[in-house]
Amino acid sequence: MREEYGREEEILCEILNMAEAMLSHGAEVNRVEDTVQRMGKAYGASQMQVFVITSSILVTMMFEDGRQITQSRRVKDVAATDFYKMEEWNALSRECCRQPIEVHRLQQEILRIEEQKHPRMYTYLGSVLGVAGFCMFFGGNIKDGVVAGVFAVLICYLQEHLQNRCPNRVVFLLLCSFVCGVGICIVAGMWQKLHVDKIMIGDIMVLIPGIALTNGVRDILIGDTISGFMRLIEALLWAGALAVGFMAAIWIVTYLGING
Amino acid sequence: MEDIRMLITAFVGCIGFSLLFHLKKRHIILAALGGVLTWAVYLAGIKIVGGIFFPTLIAGVVATIYGEILARLRKAPATLYLIIAVLPLIPGSTLYYTMSYGVQKKWEMCEYFGTVTWQYALAIAIGMSLVWAVFVMFFERRNKEDK
Repeated sequence: MREEYGREEEILCEILNMAEAMLSHGAEVNRVEDTVQRMGKAYGASQMQVFVITSSILVTMMFEDGRQITQSRRVKDVAATDFYKMEEWNALSRECCRQPIEVHRLQQEILRIEEQKHPRMYTYLGSVLGVAGFCMFFGGNIKDGVVAGVFAVLICYLQEHLQNRCPNRVVFLLLCSFVCGVGICIVAGMWQKLHVDKIMIGDIMVLIPGIALTNGVRDILIGDTISGFMRLIEALLWAGALAVGFMAAIWIVTYLGING
Repeated sequence: MEDIRMLITAFVGCIGFSLLFHLKKRHIILAALGGVLTWAVYLAGIKIVGGIFFPTLIAGVVATIYGEILARLRKAPATLYLIIAVLPLIPGSTLYYTMSYGVQKKWEMCEYFGTVTWQYALAIAIGMSLVWAVFVMFFERRNKEDK
């Protein structure tokens, strides 16, 4: 019993808040489980029963005197991967494990990190560089890279304004890839020397769930089977949506004959 | 020449993704260099061993070790370095081609790219898990001694 840090229910609630935030900003399942485990013990639990999958968190905190508290979370919205926040939360959890802080301060700290805004400049600049870099990496020339970079700006814009309106990511990816596909085909029609496939591959790099696919396989291999399969199936579905979107765009542009 | 072009563009691409993922500035250059290192190992692997699976596996192992070492030196979670470092290996384009040929009902090409995609994804994941297992075995023991 360590009443000095606050009520146990509140402590568990804050630990869950942090776990949920970490999970939705791209932390791996086993890291989140580990963090919850350590934090709980630091705050006086004799045992922690933690079950985390990509969409849900379930934790039971057990104490020396036999009491148990169970709380759970449904993790629905997956936010953009944010390494800055991940690093900050990680540091916070380490600090708490060394020297637990009072529960209201913990809450404030978690919120303070959550509210850090990712500068839009970085998102745009990062997408343009990433897309142009990988477009040329896969064999495009400098012109292809520049065109791909321009379409990366469009993708960012769509992510900012369209994503929230879409019921889920599949719909968003369908629309986004269709719009970009039409744009790329038209530009390539006007300017014959471009490699359409390389430009598309570059732009796909920011949309395609390649990291999710790899992480899914990794999760399965290290024992987080359910999370791994969830990620894998999502990744395949999203990749399928992208493919359908781009195919539809190519087909329509060819059909209408505006690709030169 | 081709190799150098790939290494440079991989560096640029990795910096781009570091910014996109909001990596702190003090990590960006080192993380992107991890990507270059990974790709260099992969290229060397192709020349020495050949195929896709083993070069990717070795490159994945190197990337994970790189991530773990830098994480300890720079006091940050290893994932930050790892995700950026394996980016060049991530089978994004082949995953796209798989689905795209599937949509066009070109099953042979779909199967070919599907196989390639799985080889990449499996090899990276196995590489990561191997290193993870070794590190856990080391550090679990040390943690117990701490208590």
